Amino acid sequence: MKDQIGGNQKRARFQALCQSLRPDLLRFAFWLSRDRALAEDVVQETMLRAWKAQDSLQDEAAAKPWFLTIIRREYARCFERKRFVTVDVDELVAREEPMLAAAEEQNLAEMRAALFKLPDEYREPLVLQVLMGFSTAEIARELDLSCGAVLTRLFRARKQLRVLCGEDTSMDPQE
Amino acid sequence: MMDCAQYRRSMLADPHDPDPHLREHRESCHDCTLYSERLLRFESRLERALRVDPVSEGPSSSDNVVPLRGRSRTALRSPAYRKRMFAMAASVLMALVVAGGLWLSAPGTSLAADVVTHMREEPQAWRRTDLPVPDPKLENVLRDSHLRLGAGGGAGMVSYANSCGFRGHKVPHLVLQTEAGPVTVMVLVHERSPKPVQFDEQGYRGVIVPVPGHGSLAVLTRGSSTDIETIEHIAHRVLDSIVWTG
Repeated sequence: MKDQIGGNQKRARFQALCQSLRPDLLRFAFWLSRDRALAEDVVQETMLRAWKAQDSLQDEAAAKPWFLTIIRREYARCFERKRFVTVDVDELVAREEPMLAAAEEQNLAEMRAALFKLPDEYREPLVLQVLMGFSTAEIARELDLSCGAVLTRLFRARKQLRVLCGEDTSMDPQE
Repeated sequence: MMDCAQYRRSMLADPHDPDPHLREHRESCHDCTLYSERLLRFESRLERALRVDPVSEGPSSSDNVVPLRGRSRTALRSPAYRKRMFAMAASVLMALVVAGGLWLSAPGTSLAADVVTHMREEPQAWRRTDLPVPDPKLENVLRDSHLRLGAGGGAGMVSYANSCGFRGHKVPHLVLQTEAGPVTVMVLVHERSPKPVQFDEQGYRGVIVPVPGHGSLAVLTRGSSTDIETIEHIAHRVLDSIVWTG
C-alpha cells in the first residue's frame, strides 16, 4: 500500500515535470531536426525512454539538460536507423511553412527561414543558448566542446544569421 | 582595455553577457552602444522566431506536402520500430496518456510563453522604485481596455504602465511594487484561459488566471525567489482592485 502511494506520487511528479518541459523540448527537437513530424516522434520516444529511466534522474533541477541529452541521442538514433540524404533547405522551409509563419509577422518567418539555413553545428548551440537559456559552460558540456569553441560557433551563427536576414553588418567585427 | 572589435565579437557570441568589462566599454563608446542596441533588437526577434508554437493549428507537414526525399515519417517508422512502440507495457501507456494531455494543455503554456517573451523585451520595467506612474498616464493605459484600478491601492503601487502590442492587440502592461518586489501584470482581455495556469520558464514565474467575461490576467515575477502561492495571492488582490468600466 505504502509502495503504491509512493509510486503514484512519483508518477505524478514525473508527469508534472514532463508537462512543464514538453513545449521547450518540442521546440528544441524541431530546431534540431527542422521537421515537425520528426520532432514529435523524437520527443515522444524521449518521453518513453525518460519514463523508463526516471530513477537515474537524481535532481529535478537537472531535468532539462537530462531530457535534452536524451533528445539528442534519440535524434542521432534516427540517423542510425535511416541514412538521410542531403536536404534542400528551400524545400524544408516550404514544407514547414505552417509552423514557421503561423500568425506571425513576416520578419519572424524570414528569421526562421534563415535559421533553417544555418549549419547544424551553429544552429544547435544557438538554440541551446537563446531558447533553452543555457550558459556557455552548459552548452560546452552538452555538446562536448570547449567553451572557446562554443563561443566561436555562437559568434559565427549570429554573424551568418544577420547576413541571411539582410541586416546591416557594416559594424560587425571580422573573425 | 577592450577594443571595439573584441567587444562586438563578445556581444555576437552572447548579447546578454554580464561581464563588467563589456559594460565598461559600452558606456565609454557611443558606436558600440548603438551596435548593442541594434544587436539586442535583432536578438529579441531571434528569441521570438525560435519560440515556434509546437502545437500550432493547421496541417502537419506530413499531411499537406509530398514527403521530403527519403525522409518521410513513415519511412522512419520501420516495422521493428512500430512493433517496439506497441510492445510498451502499462507504464508506458501512462506516459502516452500524459503526452496526449500535454498536447491539449499546450495552448495555455503557449500563452505563458508569449507573456514571458514579452517580458524579456521590456527589462527596464522591472526596476525597483518608489516613484508611482502619474495618474493620467495610468488612466490612459487602462482606458482602452475598459478598466481602472479602484481607490485604496490594494493592488500595490504602480511604478510602470504601458500599452503594449501583444498578439495583435494593445494590452495594459503594469508593474506593481509589492512586498515580493516588482510584479508584472498584463491584462489580457482578448485571451481566454479556461483554467488557471502556472508557469516557470526562462527565469520568470507566474500565473495566468481566467477573468470571466474579460479574458485573463497574467501576473509574474522575475527569478524564483517568490513562491507561486504568493503570486496567486497578488493576482487575486489585483483582480479585486480592478473596476471594469465596459
